[in-house]
Amino acid sequence: MSSIKEYLTNDHRKCDEIFAKMEEEAGSSLESARTLAQEFVTDMQHHFAMEEQVMFPEFEKKTGMTQGPTEMMRQEHAQMRSLLLQLMSAIDEKNSDRFFGTSETLMILLQQHNMKEEQMLYPMAQQHLSAESDRIVSTMDSLIVE
Amino acid sequence: MKLNGLSVDQAPPIAAPLRFFLTAPLFGIIAGILILLSNSHTLMSRYSVDAIIVTHAITIGVFAFVMFGALTQMLPVLAGAKIDRVKGITFFSYLMLTSGLLAMIIGLKFSIEVLTTYAYIGIGSGFLTMVIAIVYAMRNVNNFTATIKGMLASLLFAFFIGCMGIFLLYEYATNSISQYHYLIADIHSVWAIFGFAGLLIIGVAFQVLPMFYVAPKFKQFCKKRVVLLISSGLLIWLFLNQFYEQYELVAKIWIALFFWAFATTVWLKFNKRKRPISDVTVWYWRASSIFLTLGSFLWIFDEFFKHEYIVMVGILIGGGFILSIMIGMLYKILPFLVWFHLNAMGYMKIPTINEMIDKGLAKVQFTLLMLSLIGFIFAFYIPQLLAVSAIYFIISMALLEYNILGPLFIYRATKKKKPDFDMSVFNMEGVK
Repeated sequence: MSSIKEYLTNDHRKCDEIFAKMEEEAGSSLESARTLAQEFVTDMQHHFAMEEQVMFPEFEKKTGMTQGPTEMMRQEHAQMRSLLLQLMSAIDEKNSDRFFGTSETLMILLQQHNMKEEQMLYPMAQQHLSAESDRIVSTMDSLIVE
Repeated sequence: MKLNGLSVDQAPPIAAPLRFFLTAPLFGIIAGILILLSNSHTLMSRYSVDAIIVTHAITIGVFAFVMFGALTQMLPVLAGAKIDRVKGITFFSYLMLTSGLLAMIIGLKFSIEVLTTYAYIGIGSGFLTMVIAIVYAMRNVNNFTATIKGMLASLLFAFFIGCMGIFLLYEYATNSISQYHYLIADIHSVWAIFGFAGLLIIGVAFQVLPMFYVAPKFKQFCKKRVVLLISSGLLIWLFLNQFYEQYELVAKIWIALFFWAFATTVWLKFNKRKRPISDVTVWYWRASSIFLTLGSFLWIFDEFFKHEYIVMVGILIGGGFILSIMIGMLYKILPFLVWFHLNAMGYMKIPTINEMIDKGLAKVQFTLLMLSLIGFIFAFYIPQLLAVSAIYFIISMALLEYNILGPLFIYRATKKKKPDFDMSVFNMEGVK
């Protein structure tokens, strides 16, 4: 089974790829990108949930750091959730400029967020939670987001 | 493990990088005016006063300013490191660099000794303060990624070129050109272009291309070895240049080949990127690949022609490669910076990144810059082209300033309003 770091990093790449496909599709028409946009939002929500409901609490329990890096990551998730909403409203409003402006903003925010997680938080989590790694990955994998 | 990059106060105050970014095109305008006031015959000689001041208005005023601004901003994100007392240090450095560079331009142009003396103190202290502060901030980085290694190697070269620059300017100020002057000037310029700027760009590209354009990642060999191989190439070149000049070309080919390989790799990565969106920043990356390829080969070719083409190499690599990437990065970083700071203050209804910079004007700016660079190259053969190219260059830099001021105006205008804390993020019903 992959480590927490590998598992969540791979999930980032999966989201990146759907994002790229969604943008490409939106280049032809916003409406045709709707399905991919919904898939992207669902995958992002699932990723946030895996972290916020499983990995972050485990990390906080183990390290006692509740107001540290995980809190910062939660705040950035909130920023991204807001942009995801704006992205879907741009499709509803058929506003192409707003869609691409929002997607660009989201992309940069998302990438710098991923970088912090992949280079700092995940290695820390792997270090502290290595003994429980398989169980945590399996819980994240089976998580169903309502 | 240090957590600076993850802490709430991770980002430096917006003024710290913005100051550097917004001043850079102004020095570009000054460089353009200086070219306009000069002539192609004088500028073709790399050691003429006109060539020196134009070069430094661009290399310090534009390149170093953009690089210092970007490093200040990106250090917490890329390295999880933060410059101590970032506000004071960046302000001091900015003040010294700006005043020192203006003093250098006026002092050398009109032979005013007191200004040239101030210049090496001002530029030297401003430049080295930033370099040392950034390297010091990196002391606790645990995860030394390829990008951070590139940054560190680049900053070490920056430290040496800074020291050499102070020495060279000191000799001008005191009118005592020693026998080592031209040798040091040679090392200073090669290390500045390929060491400081080149390695930083390569290091950042490892991260930025897959990030912003969803391009394929660089191969492990590139990420693990290229910075080391180029750095050793630059050291070997120094050794050969000093003691075995007849073999100097070998080291030059070594360095040029890696940069050419980098240019080709960037081009191919863009071909394979999964995010097909093409904007002016992609155009800039593409242009920089072409210019770097031409510049690398001409640098070798020039060796067989008694350095007749060295100024052209400077235009291709300095103007075409480095400047293109700097501007491309500015167009990406600046709007995001404004968005990020406003969002963090609770403003949610902010113009998107694409709405902050007029895409059409950015393309006009790109076209004018390309025309001016091509004009500068051909001015080698047709001197009359110099003036019109200089005018294109000035307009292009003025447009760049206007384009990057846009996000700042939005920042100021938005800050005057009350933040509209958006609570919808706590309810994701709307996106299901």
